[in-house]
Amino acid sequence: MAKSVIQDRAQAKKEVRRIKNLPTVPGIVAKISRMVENPETSAAEVGRLISQDQVLSAKVLRMANSAFFGMSRKISSISQALVILGFDVVKGLVLTSSVFDMIQKSMAGLWEHSIGCAAASGAVATVLGRDDAEEILVAGLLHDLGKVVLALNLPEEMAVVLKKVAEGPILFYEAENELLDFDHCDLGEWLAEHWNLPESLAEPMRLHHRPEKAVLNPERVAIVHIADIIIRSKGFGHAGDLLVPPISMPAWELLKLRKTDFLPILEILEPKLASLRDLTSIQ
Amino acid sequence: MKRIPLDKAAPGQILAEKLTRHDGVLLANQGSEVTEGLLRMLARQNIESIAIEEADGRTPEEVLTDYLRFLAELEERFVRVKESQVLLALKKTIIFLAAKERDETLALLAPPLETSPTATEAKP
Repeated sequence: MAKSVIQDRAQAKKEVRRIKNLPTVPGIVAKISRMVENPETSAAEVGRLISQDQVLSAKVLRMANSAFFGMSRKISSISQALVILGFDVVKGLVLTSSVFDMIQKSMAGLWEHSIGCAAASGAVATVLGRDDAEEILVAGLLHDLGKVVLALNLPEEMAVVLKKVAEGPILFYEAENELLDFDHCDLGEWLAEHWNLPESLAEPMRLHHRPEKAVLNPERVAIVHIADIIIRSKGFGHAGDLLVPPISMPAWELLKLRKTDFLPILEILEPKLASLRDLTSIQ
Repeated sequence: MKRIPLDKAAPGQILAEKLTRHDGVLLANQGSEVTEGLLRMLARQNIESIAIEEADGRTPEEVLTDYLRFLAELEERFVRVKESQVLLALKKTIIFLAAKERDETLALLAPPLETSPTATEAKP
């Protein structure tokens, strides 16, 4: 192994903070967060702020009108998206649109894995009859951001992990932990801290491989965990390795899912995946 | 499935997803055949594109080869989780749906009924 590879956890965390080109939280997302915290802010005000950036607005509307949400009416403005999908979902879409280029650049297939996991999260939430399917979908969309940090900011560490993964049936995060003593879940956590992301997005980023540790919203984390497994089992996209990871039985039992639920979940998911191929470029 | 603009749609094509009006009212179900009447109605409703099932240019042999390759890759993906009954159920569901899709694709590729032998004729 190359000497320059960072193996120590504390050093890695320091390194992540120190990295000059650590992606900064898109200014607009920080602004929206501040506005949303103020109870007096109206949807129209937030809508006006996002609409100022026409490229961003177009990307957000394209995702809002995609098969993700299966809207029967076209969402034609940001303020309409805010009313129909809610602040948190639109914020997640703004964030996703802002980091889209980074995800695309980091690893071939990771964007497809991300939108696939998002669609699968939505499908599981729908079959469970939850009313927060859209929020869970956004958490699925961003769950692997830690891999983007690894690929873009720690390329040497990324290279040794990929080499290990290529050698045998080993999962990406197992290889990370074996070689580096930290993994993309830690990197995601540190990025979420650095960006001041809401815990509803940070917790699934941190715990989608250990959903039984979740405290704030264990059910949402469990859904993203199972969605990750489902989308990998379909072979849609590429998350660094080509294996179906082990399932956390506490997460499965928490959601009270049954084995027969896989059929309706996959029946919702498959037509969405076919349509989402359009989203593989949202430029 | 393929999404095509309405002016490229033709009678005989099969809808790959249901069609709804902009206010959500159902116009035609998934799986129904495109007719002249449906095309006129869609034009009146300002529907710009439809999704149709496509015979994708593969031969029946290629459809079967692709299916077998899919099964082999599926086995490889599940190599680390063979003991899990839950994930075995997931794998079986994926195979069930892939087999269904294979049969539907083969049905689209089949020659029109009048030229193929009927079930009774085919029997020895």
